[in-house]
Amino acid sequence: MSSTSVYPTPINAFKQSKRSVLSVIVDNEPGILARIVGLFSGRGYNIEALNVTVVDVKKNLSRITIETLGEEKVISQIIAQLEKLVPVHSATNLANLSESYEAEICLVKIEFENEEQDQKILNFADIYRSRTVQKRQNFVVYEISGISERINKFLDDLDTIGGIKVELVRSGPIGLGI
Amino acid sequence: MNNENEFTGADILLKALKDQEVDTIFGYPGGAVLPIYDAIFGQNFLKHVLVRQEAGAVHAAEGYARSSGKVGVLLVTSGPGVTNVVTGLTDALMDSIPIVCISGQVPSHLIGTDAFQECDTTGITRPCTKHNYLVKDVSKLSETIHEAFKIASSGRPGPVLIDIPKDVQFAKSKYISKKDISFREHRIKAGSKNVDKNFVKELVNHIKKSERPIFYVGGGCLNSGHQASQELIKLVNKTNIPITTTLHGLGCFPGEDKSSLGMLGMHGNYEANLAMNKCDLMINVGARFDDRVTGRLDAFSPDSIKFHIDIDQSSINKNVKVNFHTNTDITITLKEINAFIDSNNIDFGDKDYDNWWGQINEWRKKECLHYEQGDEVIKPQHAISRLYELTKQKDTFVTTEVGQHQMWAAQYYKFSKPNRWITSGGLGTMGFGMPAAVGAQMANPDSLVIDIAGEASFLMNIQEIATAVQYKLPIKIFILNNEYMGMVRQWQELLHGSRYSESYVDALPDFKKLAESFNAVGVRAKNISELDDTINEMISIDRPVIADIWVDKKENCFPMIPSGAAHHEMLLSKYDKENPENQEKGKVLV
Repeated sequence: MSSTSVYPTPINAFKQSKRSVLSVIVDNEPGILARIVGLFSGRGYNIEALNVTVVDVKKNLSRITIETLGEEKVISQIIAQLEKLVPVHSATNLANLSESYEAEICLVKIEFENEEQDQKILNFADIYRSRTVQKRQNFVVYEISGISERINKFLDDLDTIGGIKVELVRSGPIGLGI
Repeated sequence: MNNENEFTGADILLKALKDQEVDTIFGYPGGAVLPIYDAIFGQNFLKHVLVRQEAGAVHAAEGYARSSGKVGVLLVTSGPGVTNVVTGLTDALMDSIPIVCISGQVPSHLIGTDAFQECDTTGITRPCTKHNYLVKDVSKLSETIHEAFKIASSGRPGPVLIDIPKDVQFAKSKYISKKDISFREHRIKAGSKNVDKNFVKELVNHIKKSERPIFYVGGGCLNSGHQASQELIKLVNKTNIPITTTLHGLGCFPGEDKSSLGMLGMHGNYEANLAMNKCDLMINVGARFDDRVTGRLDAFSPDSIKFHIDIDQSSINKNVKVNFHTNTDITITLKEINAFIDSNNIDFGDKDYDNWWGQINEWRKKECLHYEQGDEVIKPQHAISRLYELTKQKDTFVTTEVGQHQMWAAQYYKFSKPNRWITSGGLGTMGFGMPAAVGAQMANPDSLVIDIAGEASFLMNIQEIATAVQYKLPIKIFILNNEYMGMVRQWQELLHGSRYSESYVDALPDFKKLAESFNAVGVRAKNISELDDTINEMISIDRPVIADIWVDKKENCFPMIPSGAAHHEMLLSKYDKENPENQEKGKVLV
């Protein structure tokens, strides 16, 4: 799936804002995450999701993926500000690339009370090709991945089942320009 | 194992400073930097200036850097030592001043335990430095220091802090010299050295086509070095284009030259602001479209094509969208523009922009800096004008505090060379000027250094008079004493119904006696008949002098673009009270 897919925005106030996924390569050194998060909070930008992991042990590089909301002008300013940080090698708005891919992973634990609920859950899990991580008598844990929108839809569908209890964790989107 | 080639962290620091050709360091000792102070005790290349409070050290380092073009260096202890420099670091970041701050930290094993005089130094200073470091391993110390100096002085300059735990100052390692370090390019961010040929061509074409061009020059021109100024003067002379400068751009172009429209912005000249409003081509050289300069953004220079030269990519299109930009260094770019004009034999002689200059000269007739000096009370504008007349033959360095006196200094003192004007622009730090004068005098021991001050600002770092006395620095503190926080009072008058809430500075000291108690010299002018003699006396004394100039208490600083107004909506004087429509809106702005 291309990164041009539309993420349902929870806040209507950001109608002018576009969702952007930024990919940032940094030296993996103490304080780098604080620098980036501080830049966003200090200048009043939004972080919708954030993911940080070392990607090159030899060169000591981390890749940070940031999902943010803002007008195009603001996004350009964010990129320029990110690139001013000393440990930052590059900051890229994936939307500006001709080709890029996104994925997110979600672990969801669903507690149910009866067989009917169990069946419905199983049905959705099948449609979305979730992987069963654990299944017990009264709950099931799934792993689902894909673009964020797909996970949103899965969770929306689960919402239509009454009386179940859902607990989840999401990685936030990660993206790669090709 | 004791190796001859190994040195303590403290010695490595000193070696690195020597390698960086640092000759002066401003500082204040304390527990967490004692090993470094011990190393300073046993050497003689580095002059340590003991300030009286750490805020003084950082502003002195700024004054040193601004007046010399070199990196300013300071040394402070952990905890309160470093929290006291936070204002100065922010000031240096806003005004792009290269300084390196060395701070002591509690020993590594105590970090995180709320130890005595411990604070999260890198955490606190992260948003107010260009970069900062906590050095946990002495073997990394040499390269860290060299990288810090490189970062502080490269690209858009700024403050860098190095936090060194006490145990690292004692620990031993090899020293790596500057020439043996290979910097990683992505960390230095030096800006492009390649001329943007297309930018240059477009600019020259637009200059040829335009009828109402203007240069808008900022502190970036200063930071690019003296040669940038030379190239700018050449270009202005070639093209006959009017030039206005920001507060920090003063001195990049001779203030008394016929092409100079003076400073623009909130308290800028009428002709400069009107020309910015009406121009059809704006050439921004190292300025950042600051809100003090632009006024209301949606009415800012509506009809112009905008060119922007700025080494900082994030300054482009941040506040104002421009049509053409380049991130290449100003000196390189201006040089190329001049060379392009010469090699293509482009002659602007027939152009001359006669109509444009005619219009500008009409605006000049408003005499926006006019004031009425009576027979008795000294007008603050007049005090600066006389100070200028009586010191302009000397190579004078002027620092300021922040407020009305600062704006009057910018308006009435004319600068012909870069680096002679040292002021706190972006952050607007009261108490900046006197320690900055200490730094400027250290860098320029034979020059006249004057801090144009207000009495309220001066009180904020008054302790540094002792520093000036100790090191026999003959700085002059020229106080325009109106017993008010004048700029606060002015805003209260214009926007808050003259309710002067807490802006009167009561219980002022007797500045003459105060000077004497510090073993400095105090002089005073109470009325116009004493002004010139007092200034001359002040200049003639080869010691620190506090000149207490009693000025009109109610004088306001004009012209003024009220907050939320546009360039063409200026207030010209106290008699020109056309209420700006935006008063209510302006009240909520700063």
